[in-house]
Amino acid sequence: MEPSLTDVRMVVEEVWTSFLGAEDPLLPMAPGTLDVGWSAAVTVSGEWQGAVSVELPRSMAEEIARRMLGLDDEVDSVGDDDVADAVGELVNMIGGNVKSLMPGPSALSLPVVAAGRVARASDVIEACRLDASWAGAPLLVSVHVRHPEKG
Amino acid sequence: MYALIIDDSRAMRSILRRIVTDLGFETLQAGDGQEALDHLEAGRIPTLCLIDWNMPVMDGYTFITRVRANAAWRDITLMMVTTESEHGQIVRALAAGAHEYVIKPFTPDAIADKLEMLGLVAKPVPA
Amino acid sequence: MTITQTSFAFVSDLVRRETAMLYDPGKEYLVEARLLPLAREAGCPDVDSYVAKLVTNPAERDKVLDALTINETSWFRDNAPYQAFTDMMLPPLLAARSHVRHLSIWSAACSSGQEAYSLAMLLDQHLPSGWTAQILASDVSSTMLDRVRAGRYSQVEMNRGMPATSLVKYFSRTGSEWEVCDDLKKMVRTQSLNLSTPFPLLPTFDIVFLRNVLIYFDLDTKRDILRRVHRVVASDGFLLLGTSETTLDLDEHWGREAHGRVQVHRPTTTAAEQWQPTAMTGA
Ligand SMILES: C[S@@+](CC[C@H](N)C(=O)[O-])C[C@H]1O[C@@H](n2cnc3c(N)ncnc32)[C@H](O)[C@@H]1O
Repeated sequence: MEPSLTDVRMVVEEVWTSFLGAEDPLLPMAPGTLDVGWSAAVTVSGEWQGAVSVELPRSMAEEIARRMLGLDDEVDSVGDDDVADAVGELVNMIGGNVKSLMPGPSALSLPVVAAGRVARASDVIEACRLDASWAGAPLLVSVHVRHPEKG
Repeated sequence: MYALIIDDSRAMRSILRRIVTDLGFETLQAGDGQEALDHLEAGRIPTLCLIDWNMPVMDGYTFITRVRANAAWRDITLMMVTTESEHGQIVRALAAGAHEYVIKPFTPDAIADKLEMLGLVAKPVPA
Repeated sequence: MTITQTSFAFVSDLVRRETAMLYDPGKEYLVEARLLPLAREAGCPDVDSYVAKLVTNPAERDKVLDALTINETSWFRDNAPYQAFTDMMLPPLLAARSHVRHLSIWSAACSSGQEAYSLAMLLDQHLPSGWTAQILASDVSSTMLDRVRAGRYSQVEMNRGMPATSLVKYFSRTGSEWEVCDDLKKMVRTQSLNLSTPFPLLPTFDIVFLRNVLIYFDLDTKRDILRRVHRVVASDGFLLLGTSETTLDLDEHWGREAHGRVQVHRPTTTAAEQWQPTAMTGA
C-alpha cells in the first residue's frame, strides 16, 4: 500500500502555501542533485508502516525557519535550534497528512531532525518521491514503506 | 482574554501567537501537555487552549482528558490544532471534550472562523 | 512587462459580456497576475500574445473567465445568516408548508458548493422526519458546478468554517480530500445559470441565498437581478444577501427584517402586483 504522488503533492503544496506564502509557489522539478543541509523524518506505525522525510538545502531550511518564526531577514539571525524546530514541524505536518491518506489507525512519531541526511532503516523501500523547487532551489519529499518481504 | 498555546514546536507556537494576538488575545505558551497543566494548576486559567496532539511528556489528547476531569476548568474552550487528521481521531478528540478541531496546515482565516463560531471573537461589522 | 490597454479592454469586455462582472481600469495588475499562469501554460511569452489567441479560441476564453471570477467562499460563511436560517426562517416555513412537507431552496452563485452543502447540513439536522428538501445550486462557471457535484474539498477548504462535529458526521476521507456523504449530495441539484441574463424556468423558492455576487455588478444589473429573483421567491419566503450587500438600495418590493446582525429580505408585494404597475410607470 502506498500513497499516490498526486495526493502527496497536494499535501506538500498545502503546507507550503499555508505557512510559507502563496507568492513563492512550489514548482515541480526533475530529480537532480541536492546538497542536503537539513533533513527531517517521521515514522508511521500501525495499520500502515512507513516513513516520510524532507531534505532541504541549508539556506532554504533557514528561510523556512525565518518565515515560520516571523523573523526579519535583515535583522535577526536564525540559530540551528530554530532551523531544527521549523524543519521538524514541517515534516510533522506533511507526515500527519500522509498518514491520513493511508488506512488507519496508525500512530505518528515525533520528528527526527538532522543537519545533513537522517539515517533510514535498512528494511524500507522508496514508495514515492516528490522533487520540487522553491524560490529557485531544489527540495525532496519522500515516502518510504516497509519492504513487503521483510514486513 | 488569554489563549494558552500548547505545541512542541516553537515555530508553530509563534505562528499561532501572531494569529490569536491579532484577534485580541494575550498569550501563554507551553511545549507539552504537562507544562500546560502546570499553568492551570498555578491558577493561570485561559479562555482558550490551542492544543497539538503529538508532543513529548504529555500529548494533547491526554491533556484534554485531564482538563475535562477537573470541574474547575470546565469553562475553558479546547481546540485541537494538529496534523492528526484521521476521521477516527477527530471523533476521539471530540468525545474526550475538545470543542473544535483544526487540521494543520491552516490559514489564519481558519483559526478566526472557528473562534468566531465558538463565540470567542466578534466578526467586525462591515461599514 | 505590463498588459496593453487593448488587451485589458478585450478581456474586461469579455468578462462583462459573459458574467456581467466589472473589471474597471486600474485592475490591470490583477488581470495580468491571473492570466500569466494561463499564458505560460499555453506557451505564450507574455499576456498580450495570449490575449491575442483568445479571439479564435473559445476553450481558452472559458479558462480566462474561470481565472477572473472570484470564487472565494467558505462553510457557514459569516455564520449569522445560517443562524437566521434555522432560528428565523425555518420555523414559520415548517408551519406554512405542513401540507406539502417540502422546502425548496436556491443557492444562486454557489461557487464550489460550500453554501449549498452548509444549508443541506442544517436541513438534515432540523427538518422533521417525513419532510424533504431540494437545494438548487447554480453558477455561471461550469468548473464550479463540476466541483459541487464531486463534493470533494481539500484540507484547507475544510478548515474554513466547518464545525468539527459536522466534519466527522457528513464527510469521509478520499485521498488528500474530504468527500461529502451521499445523503447531502442527493439534496443538492446543480444547474448552470447566468444571473445577468433572463432566468430559465425555475420553481418557486422558499429561501434564496444570493450572497457575495451582486457586489461585482453595476447598479442596473443588480436591480434587474433582484427584480427577477423577486418573481421566484414565495410570497412568504426569504432572501439573503452578502454582509456587504444588505445596505444596497433595494426597491420597494422588498422589506427587511433584522435577525441579530443579519438583514433578511422578504417580498412585500406579490409578483403579479409588482409587474403591472412597474411596467406602466416605466414609460
Ligand atoms: C464570491 S463567490 C460567492 C459564493 C457564495 N455565494 C458565498 O457567498 O460564499 C461568487 C460566485 O459568483 C459566480 N458568478 C459571477 N458572475 C456570475 C453570473 N453572472 N451569474 C452567476 N454566477 C456568477 C462566480 O462564478 C462565483 O462562483
